[in-house]
Amino acid sequence: MTVFFQLVLTGLVTGSFLILATIGFSFTRRVEGFLNIAHPELLGVSAFTTWGLNVIWGWHIIPSAMVGIVFTAFVGLIIGRVVYDPIRALGPAILLITSVGVHYVLGGSVDAIVGTGIRSLDIPLAESYRFWGVRITNYQMIVVVFAALATVGLALFLNKTPMGLAIRAMSANPELAASRGIDVKSTSRITWLISSGLAGLAGVMLAVIATLSTDIAFNQILQILAVAILAGLGSLYAVVAAGLIIGVAMDVSVFWIPAGYRPLVAFSVVILVLMFRPEGLAGKKSR
Amino acid sequence: MTIYAIIIATLTFGAIFSVLTLSLNLQYARGGMINFGTVAYFAAGAYAYAIFTQEPPSGLDQYRFGFDMPWYVGFLAAGVASLLFALVTGWPTLRLRGEYLALTTFAFAEVFHSLLLNERRIGNGSVGLANVERPDPTTLGMSDTVGYALAAVVLMLVTAFVFNRLLKSPFGRTIDAVHDDEIAAQAVGKDDARIRLQVFIISAIPIGFAGALYAMITTLVAPAMFTAEVTFFVWIALVLAGEKTIVGAILGAMALVLFQELVKGVPFETVRGAQIAASVEEIVTGILFILVLRLRPWEKLSKRNAS
Repeated sequence: MTVFFQLVLTGLVTGSFLILATIGFSFTRRVEGFLNIAHPELLGVSAFTTWGLNVIWGWHIIPSAMVGIVFTAFVGLIIGRVVYDPIRALGPAILLITSVGVHYVLGGSVDAIVGTGIRSLDIPLAESYRFWGVRITNYQMIVVVFAALATVGLALFLNKTPMGLAIRAMSANPELAASRGIDVKSTSRITWLISSGLAGLAGVMLAVIATLSTDIAFNQILQILAVAILAGLGSLYAVVAAGLIIGVAMDVSVFWIPAGYRPLVAFSVVILVLMFRPEGLAGKKSR
Repeated sequence: MTIYAIIIATLTFGAIFSVLTLSLNLQYARGGMINFGTVAYFAAGAYAYAIFTQEPPSGLDQYRFGFDMPWYVGFLAAGVASLLFALVTGWPTLRLRGEYLALTTFAFAEVFHSLLLNERRIGNGSVGLANVERPDPTTLGMSDTVGYALAAVVLMLVTAFVFNRLLKSPFGRTIDAVHDDEIAAQAVGKDDARIRLQVFIISAIPIGFAGALYAMITTLVAPAMFTAEVTFFVWIALVLAGEKTIVGAILGAMALVLFQELVKGVPFETVRGAQIAASVEEIVTGILFILVLRLRPWEKLSKRNAS
C-alpha cells in the first residue's frame, strides 16, 4: 500500500509541475484566444538558458534561473509582437497553425545551439525526506511551492490590480475593452510577459527535477494539452484541479500498467473529456 | 549524392507526401476540418501492410500476427485499415469544430503512436517490423528506385484525379455548400455531420495506401517514423504552396521534400555539422511557414489573376 501512496505523492508533484507548465498556456488561450503549440518550446528555452548559465558559465543556480525566466519572458513577448499580433485578425485556426511554425523555429534554434545529449544542472543532489513511509525530495517540494505561489500570484494579480482588471476585460470582449479606454497593446504585452515568464518558471523546475535533452520541451506539449483540455480551454482556476488529476492519474497508473503507457493515460482522459464534456471541468463554453 | 538520386528521392517521397497533402486539402480547404492527426492514418496503413505481408512470428519476434499474404492484399488492407481508423476516430469527434477537432485528432494520433510503441504484440514495439515484403520492380525491367518513384507518382496522380472528379460531382458541391454556409445547407436538407464524416473517411483511404507504399520503400515500419512531426510536415507543405488547389498541394510537398533532400545531400565533416544543418533546416522551414501564413502570397496572386 505504501507504494500506492508513494505514487499518489509523486503524482501530486507531477501535477504541480503540469500546473506550472499549463497555466501560461491557458492564460494565452484565454486572453489572446488561440492555442499556442509553441508554448512548451519556451520551457526548453528557459531550461537551457538556465543550464548554460549554471553549467557552462558557472553561475549559481538562483541568478541563472532568474535570468533564464526573464529571458524567456522577453523571448515570448518578442514572438508575440512580431509573429502573432499582425495576424490576429485571421482567426484562431491560422494562429494555431502559425504556432507550429514557431515551434519549429524555437525547437530548431535550441537544437542548433545546444546539440543533442543528456544534461543536468550543477546543483546539490536531492535530499529526500520521509513522512509516514512515503518519500519526497526537497526539489519536489520546491516544485509544489512554486506551483502554489504562481497560481495564487496570478489570481491575485488578475483580481486585485488595475492591470489584471484590464486583462480580464480584454479577454471577455476586446472591442468593448478598447472602446472603454483600455490600452490593448500594453495589456497584450503584459499577457505575453506573464505567460512566457510562467513557461520560464516551469522550464527551470523541469531542469531541477529532470535531466534535460532537447526534445524534452516537445514531450511536454502532450501533457500540457491534456491538462488544458480537461480544465476547459481558457479557464485558469480549473487548471489546478486538472493538473493534479492528470498528474496523479498518470503516476498511479504505473501501479497497474507499464510505465510506457503514462502519456496514453493522459490522452485517454483528453479523448473522453472531448467526447462527453468538451467544455471541461470549468463547465463554461469558452468559445 | 548525385543530382539524379536527389531527383528520384524527391519524386518518390514528394509524391507520397503529396497524397497526404491532397487528402488534408480535401479535409481542410473543402471540409473545414483541421486534422492534426494525419500521421495516425499513414501509420495505420503502413502497419496494416506490414502485418498482412509479414511471415508468421518466429524466434525472437514479439509480434503476434503475420499473415504472409501477397503484397496486393496488404496494399488493400492498408486502405481498409486507414478507413476503419478514420471511421473510429471520425464518428465521435466530428461534432467538434476548429481547434477542438484539431486537439482530438492530435490526441488520437498520440494514443495510437503510444500503442504502437508499447504494445509489442502489434509490431515489436519500438524496434518495429524490418524487412517488409515488397514486389520487385526489376521483373518489369526497371531499377528498384525508379520503379517505386513511378509507383508513388501513379498513386499521387490517381488520388488527385479521383479527388478532382469528386469535387466536381454533385457530392463536391454539397461539400462546398456545407463549408460555405452550414445553416443554409441544413435548410435544404443536407446532413452536415454526415457529409463531414464522409469527407473524412474518403480522404483517409489514400493516406493508408501512401502508408503501405512508404513501408514498401523503406522496408521498415517503426513508431519513430510516425511521429507528430509527419503531421506538421504535411501541414507546412499544404500551407506553403497555397491551400485550396490540387496543384498547390502537390507542389508544396515536392518543394519541401526537395529542400530536405538538398540539405541531406550536403556532405558534412562532423556529426555536429550535420546536426546544425538539420536544426537550421528546421528553423528555415518554420520561418517560411510563418511568412507564408502572414503574407498569403498565393491568395493575393490568385486575386490579381481574377481581376
